[in-house]
Amino acid sequence: MHELPVVLDIVHVMDEEANKNGMKEITRISLVIGELSSIIDESVQMYFEIAAKDHPCEGAKLVFEHRPAMLKCQSCGKEFPHEKNFQCPDCGGDSNLIKGTGREFYILSFDGQ
Amino acid sequence: MKMEVIIMKELLEGNEKLAEENRKYFADRHLLAVNLMGAPGAGKTTLISAIAKELKDIPMGVIEGDIASSIDAENLEKQGLRSSQINTCGECHLDARVIRNGADQIDMHDGIVFIENVGNLICPAEFDLGESVRLLAASVPEGDDKPFKYVPMFSYIDVVALTKCDLKEAVGFDSANFLKGLRAVSEAPVFEVSLKKNGNAAGIDALARFLKEKYEQMHQ
Repeated sequence: MHELPVVLDIVHVMDEEANKNGMKEITRISLVIGELSSIIDESVQMYFEIAAKDHPCEGAKLVFEHRPAMLKCQSCGKEFPHEKNFQCPDCGGDSNLIKGTGREFYILSFDGQ
Repeated sequence: MKMEVIIMKELLEGNEKLAEENRKYFADRHLLAVNLMGAPGAGKTTLISAIAKELKDIPMGVIEGDIASSIDAENLEKQGLRSSQINTCGECHLDARVIRNGADQIDMHDGIVFIENVGNLICPAEFDLGESVRLLAASVPEGDDKPFKYVPMFSYIDVVALTKCDLKEAVGFDSANFLKGLRAVSEAPVFEVSLKKNGNAAGIDALARFLKEKYEQMHQ
């Protein structure tokens, strides 16, 4: 729901980077998005198409790389990605969220010329 | 020539910087800033009102975030709280930038400032406002499964006020399941409260004491 400020931030960063690297055109932007960031790819894409107009990143392909929240089983200690619930896939035990995981939210890289 | 540039650039960094400035602003003024989040109707405003009644010796203010209207701010002002209203005009959360404006309007030194976030269990968990305490109002009618479903929010907060606890039996709320989900993602203490229109308030004293301790720790 808050993808618009995020997209404006992406466009702003890309303006700066294009300028810094002497690029006229940005053709690809790779984004890393943690599961707990509550960001929807399709919404980012939709806003991006509008917000990037007349900027160097207009028309750039957005590549989304997702990172899961990681859990640790309280019984056997196995670490595994959060999927549907908090149950350990090995022993069925309850697990805890490993703090800080799944909150990644950054631009990894971009292509330009 | 086409080239790839690796930047690893954090997004929403602008908000993080402003949040740090707010944190310093609140600390310099000896203000305990409490970011109060929760779904619409969870009882956020009622909670602030009840805490203010419990902690009459501590000056209190509120920065109210709503999509529209100033109903909550006006009601709390009648009770003696200093208030400022932020209308987000559709935005689903408060961010660090608008908080500074709100804080300047209430212009307090020493006390507790509640930041009542927009009613939403999702987006506010993405925006640090510069608060010292993240308080979630989770109400019993929302259901005991919410910690399992709203992991970003339940893993973001420091303390939970479980509100409308007098409705547990009526809605079949399973406390053990709620705690199981919460404990999977957070160590936040839970304060069970039940606040009624007739002024009968159960459990609010413990939550008020928790906040008072945080406020006093700030002065040490």
